[in-house]
Amino acid sequence: MRRWIPYILLVLIALPFLVMYVGFFMQAFGEGMHLGIIPEKFGFSNFRFLWQPIAWGLGKTTIWVTLLNTLIFACVSGAIVTVVCMLAGYALSRIEFKGRDFFMILQLFLHAVPGHILLIAIFFLLFYLKLLHRIPGVALARASLEIPLGVWIAKGFFDSIPWDIERSAMIDGCTRLQVWYKIFLPLVKPGIAAVFIWGFLFAWHDFIYVYTLLPGTVKLLSTLIQSLIATEVIDYGYLAALSVFYMVPPLVLFVYLQKALLKVPIFGGKGL
Amino acid sequence: MKNPNITDRKYLALSVFISPAVVLVILFYFVPVILTLLIAFTDMDRSLQWNFIGFDNFAKLFGLKGKDPFIGKIIKNTLIYIAGALPLTIGGGLLLSILSMKIDRNAGVFFRAIFFIPRAVPPVVWGFLWVWAFEGTRYGLFNAIRTALGLPVVHWFIKYPMLIVIMANGFLGISLAMLVFSSAIASIPRDLTRAAEIDGATDWQITRYVIIPMLKWPILTMTAWHLMSFVNSYVYIMLITNGGPYYATEVWSLYAYHAAFNRYRYGYGASLITVLVLVNIALLFIVLKAFGVRKMLSRGKIEV
Repeated sequence: MRRWIPYILLVLIALPFLVMYVGFFMQAFGEGMHLGIIPEKFGFSNFRFLWQPIAWGLGKTTIWVTLLNTLIFACVSGAIVTVVCMLAGYALSRIEFKGRDFFMILQLFLHAVPGHILLIAIFFLLFYLKLLHRIPGVALARASLEIPLGVWIAKGFFDSIPWDIERSAMIDGCTRLQVWYKIFLPLVKPGIAAVFIWGFLFAWHDFIYVYTLLPGTVKLLSTLIQSLIATEVIDYGYLAALSVFYMVPPLVLFVYLQKALLKVPIFGGKGL
Repeated sequence: MKNPNITDRKYLALSVFISPAVVLVILFYFVPVILTLLIAFTDMDRSLQWNFIGFDNFAKLFGLKGKDPFIGKIIKNTLIYIAGALPLTIGGGLLLSILSMKIDRNAGVFFRAIFFIPRAVPPVVWGFLWVWAFEGTRYGLFNAIRTALGLPVVHWFIKYPMLIVIMANGFLGISLAMLVFSSAIASIPRDLTRAAEIDGATDWQITRYVIIPMLKWPILTMTAWHLMSFVNSYVYIMLITNGGPYYATEVWSLYAYHAAFNRYRYGYGASLITVLVLVNIALLFIVLKAFGVRKMLSRGKIEV
């Protein structure tokens, strides 16, 4: 009996959430709900946004424009995080310089301070940089939030690579940039994938930056869903279906990148 | 003896590698802090004119000159929110990690996955789940269940708004705390719990006197981390109740956001944020004093 107590407690705590999650999928794929979670039949009528325009406020949009906006935003942000962190991660892993420890600690603390409290100032900053209300500008601001931890992740990947290869390349006459580009990038492909997914995912999930810094006419999936929640009459089935649609692309990306990039080239060289 | 030529080349390479990160960090962390500080001393509104008014915003904030009628309620809300969400996060995280580490390994992974979902789904979807679950009509999840059982509907968001936002944020915190505590429990040597078992300790005694003392550091780090996070959090509250009904869940950072972007009083919003940034810096110093952060840094293995 006693060994069942943990199970019972866990099930009791998890039950409301399980009901919530199951109900969410029932809402998305069901039609004619009873008791909130039991549908009359299953179907895809809640996914009608795929072939019909979406009405919000007085305007209309289609899911594909919104999806494209979100993809551009997340890819730009992910790419910025990847390039910046891969460069900085190499330097922090391999080059000894004054202030390196300080820089690393600083990144940790910056990560601890949520950047979104500085939104008022970032609004003005983007305004003066003429980047406000533009997807690439907002993507840059969003990307910078993930730099502090991204740098740590990238450094970890560089740390795990033996330095022999790099030294032999430098003895053969490579410059640092060539070493980074020709030797390291192929070796840290898993790191690149990880950092890109990191940047992409947070931008894809982001709500507050997009909501505040992009004009109301440019909707991304997150702000579209929010604006549909904030209306008077909420169609829960429709919103659940939209949420399912919103959550699929990161999963696809994750599976794809795992296959494509988690293959580390195996060297046949001496000592490796 | 250092070769100056090599040193020069090293710093040239270094600047190429590190400057993008440095520029972005300065541009989007340090410049905004300074900008916030400057805007806090203006009465910036939607005309975006820089009109410096000295300490008027702060005077208003502290009730010295003109009074902000909401500030007392906002402070109270913020304190209640933190006092609710922080213990929920740490206590819930501890409970779930201890329970899920005690049972069969696969079952434990299953339960941890369930409780990690809040952090894995996008914020708007998490917000949507709570809005839907606690909807005040019979279309909401819990009211639909109540209706099925023949009970009247409850207007959850009017009756328990603060409780709902505390739970919604608390379970987000729990998902991280649970993972951290679970991996810490996994690293406790089995000998210790075995020895206690042989000595006749009960499950409760093992938990209380062996496991929890071993989790001292993870508990401290998670407490510090989530304290910072709850002091500044407003995004989920905004998505779920947007501070309502009538300021019942409006916390400090959300109030600042609303002041700036809903009422276009950027100057006043920035002064609220300035206070928040000062609180953050103070908390960081306390954390820095309490922890030896330097221990967390590993040096590069080799200098080429």
